[in-house]
Amino acid sequence: MNFLRFAARRLAEMAATLLGASFVIFGAMYLAPGNPASFLLSGRSASPDALKAINDQYHLDDPFAVQYLRWLGRVLQGDFGRSITYRTDVSRLLADRLPSTLLLVAMALVLVVVVGLLLGRLGAVRGGAADATILVTTTFAVGTPSFVAAVLLQGLFAVKLGWFPTSGTGDGLGDMLWHLTLPAVALALYLIGMLARVTRAAMLEILTQEHVTVARSRGMTERQVISRHVFRNALGTVLTTGGLIVSTLLICTVLVESAFSVGGIGQLLELSTTTKDFPTVQAISLIMVGLFMTVNLVVDLLHPLVDPRVTLGSRRSAV
Amino acid sequence: MTPTPLPTTGRGKPRGRLTLAAAAGLSALVLVAACSGPPRAGAEGAFTLSAGTPAAKGELDSFRWATYAEPSTLDYISAFDYPQNTILSNVCESLMRWTPQLTLAPGLAEKASNPEPTTWVYDLRPGVHFHDGSVMTADDVVYSFGRQMNPDNGAAWAQVFQNVRSVSSTGLLQVTVRLAKPDSQFPQYMATAAGVVASAKGVRAAGKDYGTSGGLDCTGPYTLGTWSKGQSIDLERFDGYWGTKARTRKVTFTFLTDPSARVNAMLTGEVDGGYLIPTESYDRLRNSGAGTLYFGEGLSTVNVNVTSMKGALGDVRVRRALSLALDRSGFVRTGLGGVGSVTGSLTTRAAWAAAPEAVRASAFDGLTPTAQDLRQATALVKEAGATGKTVTVATSSIGQDVSLLATAVQAAGARIGLDVRLRTIAPNAFSALFTDPKAREGIDMFPETYYDSITDPLDLLSNFRTGAYQNYAGYSDKAYDDLVDQAAAVYDPARRTAVEAQLQKTASDRLLWIPVAEWPTSVFLNKRLTGAPTTIAYMYYPWAADVGAAR
Repeated sequence: MNFLRFAARRLAEMAATLLGASFVIFGAMYLAPGNPASFLLSGRSASPDALKAINDQYHLDDPFAVQYLRWLGRVLQGDFGRSITYRTDVSRLLADRLPSTLLLVAMALVLVVVVGLLLGRLGAVRGGAADATILVTTTFAVGTPSFVAAVLLQGLFAVKLGWFPTSGTGDGLGDMLWHLTLPAVALALYLIGMLARVTRAAMLEILTQEHVTVARSRGMTERQVISRHVFRNALGTVLTTGGLIVSTLLICTVLVESAFSVGGIGQLLELSTTTKDFPTVQAISLIMVGLFMTVNLVVDLLHPLVDPRVTLGSRRSAV
Repeated sequence: MTPTPLPTTGRGKPRGRLTLAAAAGLSALVLVAACSGPPRAGAEGAFTLSAGTPAAKGELDSFRWATYAEPSTLDYISAFDYPQNTILSNVCESLMRWTPQLTLAPGLAEKASNPEPTTWVYDLRPGVHFHDGSVMTADDVVYSFGRQMNPDNGAAWAQVFQNVRSVSSTGLLQVTVRLAKPDSQFPQYMATAAGVVASAKGVRAAGKDYGTSGGLDCTGPYTLGTWSKGQSIDLERFDGYWGTKARTRKVTFTFLTDPSARVNAMLTGEVDGGYLIPTESYDRLRNSGAGTLYFGEGLSTVNVNVTSMKGALGDVRVRRALSLALDRSGFVRTGLGGVGSVTGSLTTRAAWAAAPEAVRASAFDGLTPTAQDLRQATALVKEAGATGKTVTVATSSIGQDVSLLATAVQAAGARIGLDVRLRTIAPNAFSALFTDPKAREGIDMFPETYYDSITDPLDLLSNFRTGAYQNYAGYSDKAYDDLVDQAAAVYDPARRTAVEAQLQKTASDRLLWIPVAEWPTSVFLNKRLTGAPTTIAYMYYPWAADVGAAR
């Protein structure tokens, strides 16, 4: 299938999925108990006039379909509306907070890919004590939820040893990297364990396959065999988990940002959900779904490059 | 009348609002006595209440302060919650001032007079400058109050102005407020964010962005500096301040939403202090050697609020039985980290600071018994024919105070023949119980910590008036309503508190909420600094200006 047609089809699919997601997100917020106006007034006895003013301002009394369509129309024009609790444009709120979250997720992603692949490869190739150690460590990593990891890392590296700050985001890139190291490790830990195990299993499976034996019999060095045949083939399997990895990072960032008081969109999402700040929750949810789908698209496009057996648009790539 | 149920917007996690956020107050009488109140000993352990912290010895270049959430906006008309008020109180000032002793003092108004019951005249302090350099006039007051009263703005303080007929400038430096009927709460609320005066010019210029970016254009000892969204807010000392200059040049508030992250930041010195210390961290901070943890007498009470009279709780004997069976001191020990005292009163003692001794004695005489009496409780349940009946209590992992109190109610019910069921509600949804009657459906009671915004028991007691916002159980009694109206109309504290004592007696007899404990406020200061008040005054008093070097 030609690349452009494939990309166009996937983009159309993405748009349809986003539309569906937007409806679900909007509907879920609509159905949940509590009313943003009452949070805004926070328990104070509001006069009917004041309540009406807020309801009018945010069109909260309109029927669901009308509210949804009005919102959708504005989002298509790039306007996410005005936050109810923050009383400022949602796009501005996001612009303030997206950089920290993206940096945090990027740092975690690098850790996951580098350390996860390295450990997986090491375990499969070395075997023996190294493999056993890696198995135990990754079991521990996979069994530790990110918020528990956050508490442990904070206690040891921030409070006890004082190497890193306990919380916050920092100013300037260097300071931000320093502040976000512990959160990134907390975020990455589970996925490092998972990726190491997937890589190890995939490599072990390929090691027993015929073409590996053939390659060896042709006199290739073990190093060449592992790099060209085993690791490269295993990468395909690993790549298909890419979407899963990114979505896990995006979901867990909510917990980790809260634990480390990183002012990113994960923390904003949690807060906005509590206060039923419709416009903000909807915008963040949509962005998260969009990011997730973009990553999947990129994985699909990259897949044939890594694994020559896969062609664009084939069943295998459409995972 | 506009009591704030503890801050809700916080987050889903324990702290703030529903959680036992602290709100402390100290009656003026106790305060004058000494710097250190008597240790409260008892089953719940010992703790000391401090009237204040030692005065600062010198200037500081800057200090960092922890808050549990980022303010959504710093617009004074929306400032009802801990994070906003803790910051805003240093930037914006009100006509009157709530002192660290929780008494009323002149603020931006030099003098408040009451020529007739429905008229309040405020004579403004001359030569007060806004942060942009312009001079405050009566027009700014008229404009600032107009924003509170405009229904389009949905102001959090609109209710304070419910009896206001007009606010007009009757001189360059004189404002006259005319009321539809006498309102004893109004002049007291002028010390809260309801009475803030901001520059009319500045607010107009900022337009819809007022409070969320740029300056606040008020008169306080600090101006709003950089606001790094999601992270921190800086305040800078205002050199044109009319009063005593702040001792610290710059104050940075960092938003640390997670309780353990907040405490860790205090232990490592990343922040220098903070109010509202998580109860579970008292010991860690006390034993750390990093600084001092202070407690101040509170305007907060922990209650189990009755939300439905339709089930078994419709019979006052069942409510009384549950109250008698409740292990209050056990709750204080575990739920409040030992810092609190059991009470049979819905209002705190400090809220009665203005009452004559005899009135106060009568207000606290013969209230809800706090000692456990299982035999009498069981008999009451039997007498009401409620044995085996179901009572549903809402609980949440929002804070250990909530979950432990709900569990205590369940244990009490089990011992007296009631089937108390816990309904666990997600932390995010728990706040909806306060605001949404639909969320309260099927729930008979839930734990709530309540604080007064002013030093007046009516702030809480008016909740049981017919149709009041927090009158969850829909209690309605003409005689009670009349007494509330009567207290609201009497300016003289002695006569007013006498009426309030009757209200307290009725609310106590009916057990509309079951009082459990008084909860003091808490503040941590590390070794670098001192001077912060220990009472809830920090909500409306420019406390940061008093903080300076400890040595």
